Amino acid sequence: MSYGSIMNMPPPSREMSRKAAIVGLGETDYHLDYLAERAKAPGYESPTVEGLCTKAFERALADSGLKREDIDGLALSFTFGGPPPEEMAGLLGLNPRYCIANGNIMAGPLPVVCADIAAGKADTVAMVFCVASRTIGRDFGGSDEFSGEGVPTSYYYYHPWGWSSQAAHWAMIFSHYQATYGATEEDLGSVAMQLRKNTETNPNAVMQKPMSLEDYMGSRYIVRPLHLFDICLVNDGAVCLIVSRADKAKDMPHKPVEVAGWGESKIKHSKLHTMVRERLRPQFQDAGRQALEMAGVSLSDVQHFEGYDASTMHLINHIEGHGFVEPGAGLEFCKAGEMAVGGKLPTNTWGGNVSGSYMQGWAHIAEVVRQLRHEADGRQIKDVEVSMSSLAQTDQVHPLVFVRGD
Amino acid sequence: MAEKRPDRWLGPGHHREFWDWCDKGELRLQRCGGCGGISWPVVNACEFCGSEELSWEPMSGRGTIVSWSTFERDYYRGLLPIPWDTILVELEEGPLFLSNPKGFTWQDITIGMPVKLAFIPCEDSAGEYSLPVFEKA
Repeated sequence: MSYGSIMNMPPPSREMSRKAAIVGLGETDYHLDYLAERAKAPGYESPTVEGLCTKAFERALADSGLKREDIDGLALSFTFGGPPPEEMAGLLGLNPRYCIANGNIMAGPLPVVCADIAAGKADTVAMVFCVASRTIGRDFGGSDEFSGEGVPTSYYYYHPWGWSSQAAHWAMIFSHYQATYGATEEDLGSVAMQLRKNTETNPNAVMQKPMSLEDYMGSRYIVRPLHLFDICLVNDGAVCLIVSRADKAKDMPHKPVEVAGWGESKIKHSKLHTMVRERLRPQFQDAGRQALEMAGVSLSDVQHFEGYDASTMHLINHIEGHGFVEPGAGLEFCKAGEMAVGGKLPTNTWGGNVSGSYMQGWAHIAEVVRQLRHEADGRQIKDVEVSMSSLAQTDQVHPLVFVRGD
Repeated sequence: MAEKRPDRWLGPGHHREFWDWCDKGELRLQRCGGCGGISWPVVNACEFCGSEELSWEPMSGRGTIVSWSTFERDYYRGLLPIPWDTILVELEEGPLFLSNPKGFTWQDITIGMPVKLAFIPCEDSAGEYSLPVFEKA
């Protein structure tokens, strides 16, 4: 199993900005699929990568108003395996001239496809992501965790000390954060509660039940000081984004969502220091600047933020790291309601990885599409024109900037 | 009596030297002959400057606690007792070293408290070895 994340992300440049746009969106039934998997009623069959991808693709195609023959590219992103691109193209009834397997976790795959569209390799690409982490029983910790070439040593080197899992990374960060800023578990609970509250207007979110502070504090610990409700979900699903040349996108049914900027920055040394003490701020600053400059906007232009919330703590790392607030001010910002729709920076407005769906960054982009089309119904951010998404793993940051097209 | 532990990473680039020094009761990390930086975990080239001129330098064993995390979830499927305490120690020489507390638990920790190196006998599928941990200084 590879620690695939970013496949040769093209360098950010003004010339590449707004050359391609998202014109179609499809997602699977996260909520219903999760309930069915939990219930395992007689006759229940586990979802397959093929089945999930087909559903997401058909919905995206219908959403885009395009015909099958209009799709001349296919880019597949599978975290835990799936059919090769040519075989998947056949299953979807496509005959694309551009057909690639393209990393897995979002953000990397989208800039690759945008650059390839700009280079004329395809006009309209169906990007399909699928992860079935629940069905395969993935544990995200212990001795089966990723190891080997290209994998950060913190994923596997500390086994003899009994330390592994992504959750443990965020727990180490929060313990230090608590001591540095005097934050409490109740403070961090405000992030979990905000994300859960956001699902009130999202019937496809996995978690729908309202969460009180008592619910949060009563949830079991996974890795102290983090509770179950601090950690991202594990569920199955697929997302399809149809991405087209920006000039073609103008004639399609929905407002195009233009991919305006991207950036990339990795920790080069002193990983644990940079992660625990600096909470990747140098990487957030560096990658964020690249993406905003490419897009030709400033941080204060961002009206909607989608941060990769592998945990509640990590979402605060994004908000502070990019500079939306000062280091140490993130939890007060959340408690003041500033991350809610109507606040200064509406964030993960659909529930995020923690309460919405664990689509490894792809469902965050789906929400960007809904918000920038102004089709987000009960949680629409008024007059939003610029959204920023941000992936941060334990050692690297990849933001994306999107603008509402003409 | 050696404690059973999850397997050490002994794959490509693991540097047997690190564990050999532990077995001799010494914590030694790789110092760069070029920039002087100390890399950890083990590297093939200095993580700061890329130089391959590395030597195994003894650490004083003194440090302070930077952070901690305690596992309530049993990721290692019964191999380790739960709850399982881990600490992040800043060595006097600079690097952050992830380890376990010896003789104290997470309830006893204050960030910044001084600790000192100790070795405990452990065992994994590759055999018995000495594991560096930290006790209150």
